[in-house]
Amino acid sequence: MSLHLKNISLNLNGNPLILPFSLEIAAGEIVTLMGPSGCGKSSLLSYVAGDLAAPLRGHGDIFLNGNALNTTRPEQRRIGRLFQDDLLFPHMTVGENLLFAIQRGARSERQAMMKTALQRAELEDFENRSPHTLSGGQRSRISLMRTLLAKPQAMLLDEPFNKLDQALRNTVREYTFSHLSTRNIPTLMVTHDLNDAPKNGRILQITTTGEVKHV
Amino acid sequence: MKRTEKSWIPAFASMTGVGALGSLPILTLFALPLLASLFFSFEITFDRQAWQNLLAHPQLWSGLRLSIYTGAASTILALAAALLIIIGAYESKSWHNLPATMGAMLALPHLALAIGLSFLIMPSGILARIVANIVGWQTPPQWVTTHDPYGIALIIALAIKEAPFIVWVLAGFLNREDIRQKFVLQRAAAQSLGHGTGSIWLRIFVPQLMPKLIWPLVIVFVYAATVVDMSLAIGPTQPPTLATVIWADINSEQVVNNARGGVGAIFLSLALLMSLVLAWSFIIVTKPIWKNIMNAGPSTWAAPVFAGHTKLISLEVFYVLIAALLFFMSLAQNWPFPNLVPTASLKPWGTIFQNPNALITSIVLATLTSFTALSILLLWLEMMNQKTDRIILWLSLALLGLPAILVGLGQYRAFLRFGLTANMAGLFLSHLLPVVAYMAIVLVGPYRAIDPRFSATAKSLQASTLKFFIAIKLPLLKAPILSALAVGFAVSFGQYIPAQLIGAGRFSTLPIEAVTLTSGANRPLTAAFAFLLMLPPLLVYVAAARFGRSRWSNS
Repeated sequence: MSLHLKNISLNLNGNPLILPFSLEIAAGEIVTLMGPSGCGKSSLLSYVAGDLAAPLRGHGDIFLNGNALNTTRPEQRRIGRLFQDDLLFPHMTVGENLLFAIQRGARSERQAMMKTALQRAELEDFENRSPHTLSGGQRSRISLMRTLLAKPQAMLLDEPFNKLDQALRNTVREYTFSHLSTRNIPTLMVTHDLNDAPKNGRILQITTTGEVKHV
Repeated sequence: MKRTEKSWIPAFASMTGVGALGSLPILTLFALPLLASLFFSFEITFDRQAWQNLLAHPQLWSGLRLSIYTGAASTILALAAALLIIIGAYESKSWHNLPATMGAMLALPHLALAIGLSFLIMPSGILARIVANIVGWQTPPQWVTTHDPYGIALIIALAIKEAPFIVWVLAGFLNREDIRQKFVLQRAAAQSLGHGTGSIWLRIFVPQLMPKLIWPLVIVFVYAATVVDMSLAIGPTQPPTLATVIWADINSEQVVNNARGGVGAIFLSLALLMSLVLAWSFIIVTKPIWKNIMNAGPSTWAAPVFAGHTKLISLEVFYVLIAALLFFMSLAQNWPFPNLVPTASLKPWGTIFQNPNALITSIVLATLTSFTALSILLLWLEMMNQKTDRIILWLSLALLGLPAILVGLGQYRAFLRFGLTANMAGLFLSHLLPVVAYMAIVLVGPYRAIDPRFSATAKSLQASTLKFFIAIKLPLLKAPILSALAVGFAVSFGQYIPAQLIGAGRFSTLPIEAVTLTSGANRPLTAAFAFLLMLPPLLVYVAAARFGRSRWSNS
């Protein structure tokens, strides 16, 4: 698996926000993208995911496992996303949130996949619980499991640890990174906290002039 | 401390602890008459003879079946149409204008739309004439298109009239910034899990919207199942809906029939309550089935955006067509079938303007009630704690969620005791109740949504409470206040049951005249009255929309 961004740039109302850059992320690699507020980090992830909204416009090619994605609809790109908020759907139980991501098929198989995901999240007994009854860490684990159940070929992390307290942040970060690496998923992560970046991982910085530089 | 720091009304309230004074007008003019009406609605609950007469009525069960079926079918159709429109228009170019468009449609009284629709689809109506000119018919087809035994025309009219209300409620919710942001993120998350926009609407957005629609849907269902004026204009007659059977009993000269009508209204209310309980039970029992649909896994099914846009445009065209048709018909003095163009005459308009009592009474009532309702609501909101708003809101929902025929009858009995029938005071009060209810629902939310820090800032700048109210609050609330006034005006304009019962034949209003005319053969005059029913509320709404625009906002 690999994610290749080629000559990617962003404009806001025609003004350049991020200048053209290229990046190739290998299987299991987690690349960190940093930059000041409003520099276009999250918008860049939206462009890669395929749901960038006007007045922002993106240019450049996106390849996933060698296949061009530019004209592919967001739901067909097979790119998973994690956000600052866990975005568990409040009207569904924990189990239903997980089922929401599992491909159609035999009911028993889907149920088994859901239960396995619950086990991996160490939340076996939480299937029928409402998301709002879970702690922040539990919600984060379910959110990650839900994303992984959709079998993404690449991942985009948009400051996913931002709202967690420091102790929980370290735990959830290690948990997330280990699952992504184990599954060889190329990952692009946006953060403003250098501590969130994996050790020995590549770090990119967006400058105030919109240039993307390796740190 | 300088005494100029606070204005006299709230200052007096806060200094003397009599903030409750602000509640007196609304309690006297709204809550007490409403509670009295509700109490007297059930006054004859234990009249055994009346119940026996009711249960022996030959049209009871067929009428009940029709009432529940037309109510349920029109509610489901209106909901489906509203959801399609919302899905099609959400965050599109037409989304920005959607609440205003729906508001204009809401301003048109139900009765006017029913009359317009009947002129469109009746065997000698415009549609039949167009077809006749194409296929060569010389006489109107022998089709039952209005007053049909299955209530299809009534269902269509109700669905067309109620869909804008549901869209308006949903748009108000979806336009909240916190909801908009939440839905944007949820959509991104669901798309990343492989769901298309149709699947996201079905599984994520609609289930979260439905709880907001419970009360509006109850109101729509109860209204549709108990409507009298629309049913008389376009509904089934052989047999009629139960509401019209009850209405005939209430207006009968026989006291025995009046009592039967009274318990009939209670019976209909209980039957509707039972229907709602059954519907709720059905939803609970079938939960595993629709849960399975919800949990079926990712689907790239796209949202029916085109269908939604088509529906929206059709609805807009339909309303314009109805207004044009009513005006056109009002000029059609002599119009043999299958001619497309009639001989024009201004005779109906001459008749109306020679005796404009109905028009004047309706306009005076609508103006007085909407401004009175605004005054007492503002007084309440200014002087009462936010927590007490629920009293007014619950009373409003009770009024709107109960059959108008039941409340109207209770109101008649209550007003009779206090000498408030057949006089202007009673007529005013009977119109004021629904006007306050609707205006409260429109106004309370935006009023309480004003950032409290504005008040703190104004106080820190040494502005009095009165100055803050006039210089800050009123300009900020200009749009919702004018919208509420327009809604109040339209609600008053469309009142048929209270006008007929409390007016007791002494006063003529536009709905009374229009309903009376629908049973006659003078179509041009009927069309002229229906057009007049439509025009003033629409003009008031357009004026409210025009003057309610903010100078400082694009929205």
